[in-house]
Amino acid sequence: MATKGLEQGQSLRYVRTVGMTTMRGRGFYYPIDSAMSNSGRLYVLSRSFERAVSDSMRVTMLNEDGEYFGVFGSAGIGDGQFRWPCGIAINDQNRVFVTDEYLNRVSVFNESGEFIKHWGSEGEIEGMFHGPSGIVFDQDNNVLIADSRNHRIQKFTSDGEFLQSFGEYGNGDGCLNLPWGLGVDQQGEIFVADWGNDRIQRFTPNGEFVAKYGSPGRQEGELMKPAGVIVNQEGYIYVADWGNERVQVFGPDGEFVQKIRGQATNSEWAEDFLEVNVEEAGARERANLEPDIDYFNDDPHEESSHIEKLFWGPVSLMLDSESRLFITETNRHRIQVYERDN
Amino acid sequence: MPENQIELIAHLARRAGFGATREELEEYAGIGYEATVDKLLDTSTPQWMSEYLIRRYHPDESSMLAGLSGLEAWLYRMITTDTPLLEKMTLFWHGIFATGYPKVLNAKPLSDQIRMFKKYAMGDFRNLLVEMAKDPAMIIWLDNQQNHKDSINENFGRELLELFSMGVGNYTEDDVKECARAFTGWTIGNCEYMELRSARDSDWPYGRISWHYEFDANDHDDGEKEFLGRKGTFNGEDIVKIICEQEAAARFIARHLYHFFVADEPPVPQWPYQPPRDPEAIDQIVQAYFDNKYDIRSVMKFVFNSDFFKSEDCWYEKVKSPAELVTGVMRLTESVDRPQYEHSSRQLRMQYMGQTLSNPPSVEGWDGGTTWIDTGALVERMNFASEELGRVETPGSNELFNKIAFEGDGDIDADRIVDICLKHLGTIDVKDDTRSKLVNYVSKNGVIKVEDQGIDEIGKEKIAGVVKLIASTPEFQRA
Repeated sequence: MATKGLEQGQSLRYVRTVGMTTMRGRGFYYPIDSAMSNSGRLYVLSRSFERAVSDSMRVTMLNEDGEYFGVFGSAGIGDGQFRWPCGIAINDQNRVFVTDEYLNRVSVFNESGEFIKHWGSEGEIEGMFHGPSGIVFDQDNNVLIADSRNHRIQKFTSDGEFLQSFGEYGNGDGCLNLPWGLGVDQQGEIFVADWGNDRIQRFTPNGEFVAKYGSPGRQEGELMKPAGVIVNQEGYIYVADWGNERVQVFGPDGEFVQKIRGQATNSEWAEDFLEVNVEEAGARERANLEPDIDYFNDDPHEESSHIEKLFWGPVSLMLDSESRLFITETNRHRIQVYERDN
Repeated sequence: MPENQIELIAHLARRAGFGATREELEEYAGIGYEATVDKLLDTSTPQWMSEYLIRRYHPDESSMLAGLSGLEAWLYRMITTDTPLLEKMTLFWHGIFATGYPKVLNAKPLSDQIRMFKKYAMGDFRNLLVEMAKDPAMIIWLDNQQNHKDSINENFGRELLELFSMGVGNYTEDDVKECARAFTGWTIGNCEYMELRSARDSDWPYGRISWHYEFDANDHDDGEKEFLGRKGTFNGEDIVKIICEQEAAARFIARHLYHFFVADEPPVPQWPYQPPRDPEAIDQIVQAYFDNKYDIRSVMKFVFNSDFFKSEDCWYEKVKSPAELVTGVMRLTESVDRPQYEHSSRQLRMQYMGQTLSNPPSVEGWDGGTTWIDTGALVERMNFASEELGRVETPGSNELFNKIAFEGDGDIDADRIVDICLKHLGTIDVKDDTRSKLVNYVSKNGVIKVEDQGIDEIGKEKIAGVVKLIASTPEFQRA
């Protein structure tokens, strides 16, 4: 973990790991985004994949301690079903919104997971979607959605009424290339993980370009296909540097301050599994899970595929009421939790 | 530009790649045959659909919990690559060093093996064999993790000689044992845990963990060995060097290359008893192998420039494998420019045609040739090609419509439409009888009109009908 120029209390320290791989029920299957309700309930959206069993594509409800509250959703095109679920967000009424970048719609559920409605359709004109992915609510309880394949951000009311859009395809200031994750800061400014341009862009609440952070690469402060972004109360910018398999922290003005590669340990659910699978637990105990390897290439994706504790597919970021950072990892089917080092 | 020159290059494109569009063929013809061979052999900077894009939209093609996800990612690469020969060579080696999911039960090492083949496919054959022997998926596939200093397991040593390099009849049982001794200690890291996870198909608690090669010096037999008439304290690398110097190895690889790139040979088990289709060609490839010090790229250059390869006698003499057919069809549609939800169904169609990559029927791989064709597989092949190429909305179809519209306003002659369609699909040379039936089909369906430099929807459907029929012809199904 590298740090630089951090103000006191801004350094991140590992706390715990939540979740584990399961195709159904208690667990995650390629989690792609997470959200937390006012009551602290976690909603983890499992992307699964095309050929997997229908109920592997789901939202798992739990709390940080591993208490499990059930699942909702499944693969399909009916009400409450998904094809390529991608983003999840919760509004101040505890309604759960899920984007689907294949079905080009947003599905809305109540906090228990009962389907309420969906809205959206495929197209290029304003209000329509082509690959809706990242989703976040702003301070006015309007919803911002990264309309990825239309290379723009769209704003709607909670009821799905179109308000505005900004961005177009390109790599200039304010232009976007397959945007993914979104964040909103205390002032309502919008942060976009401009995935295809390897940078974060910052916009005013009205969508005017403010600044850009990062450039393509693997060095400190550089980004490779960022997938998620979130800003804490002091304006520090956390980035899920997905293509570099790490999370980076930038200061309020975009200066690099820290990078973390992950240090997962066994979650409660993982411990439960190993407790009843004694043979596997024994072999795991005897294995060297951090072997010294000559990797095929210098893509951190390769290292992460071998070293289990490292981030593999860190895709989305969430802050809880205590400013702890929840990092969802798609390929490791878990969430790593970090807190500020006070 | 002489049509026979383009037809020859079309033959090259079908064998060294997955076929080519008319535009690509004309571009190749512009630089000439030999320069085209050189261009195809230049695989130094391969480009295909961004790996990041594939990983973003298909997470299972990134970490591979499921057995077939690696091949779906490979299919994307084959469809979108600008260096098709590299993919063909990878398919070639995968067919020989056939490794399957049902025993490995971890798709990532299998995908890593394909990546390794791609890296070493066209270099020194010795390096490829060594890397193959160190490949974690291969080690598990042929039990080399159980090949111990004090208790050898002959499985890998035997298959190295029998199936991977020389063929039966060219070594003794003692050679097999000595070969196995040389590869003791070649294993995978964390073997106990990885084997157990594999045996249980366990992806708990946090998904698959990639495998890595590990040399266990304490478990390696470094004593003296006698192998193929030579004595020494041979290790695995030494064994590979000795094998590659054997004429039997050269002949074995030469026949495989001929079988895959020139014309179908009988299945490998029949080789000891059935002479090659063209013994002189095999002799020439053997010579090229030694002249070029086992460099596969140079051997391929020799093959593609040889008279036996260019001869019209071998055009359309190979049945396309399902992987070649599916890839070639999708390349012609020009519709795969981004990850698609529907992509996984394409590998399923390939399975229905009788080929699941990374899941060969046995350690001997696929027999190929006419074994690809049975009643069910043929119908599936024809249906797939017709459905995909018959879609009027694809960029490939639109190009075809534009070509026909370019003929000018008015009714287009049926013969001319068939001609344009055959060229569009890669300059297919069908038999006269087939051609006349295609022309009849167009004539019976009424004229196709071009108005205001465009073709109406009914006209497009009629043209799509011709394309579907061509996709079902023996010439299209062959390479």
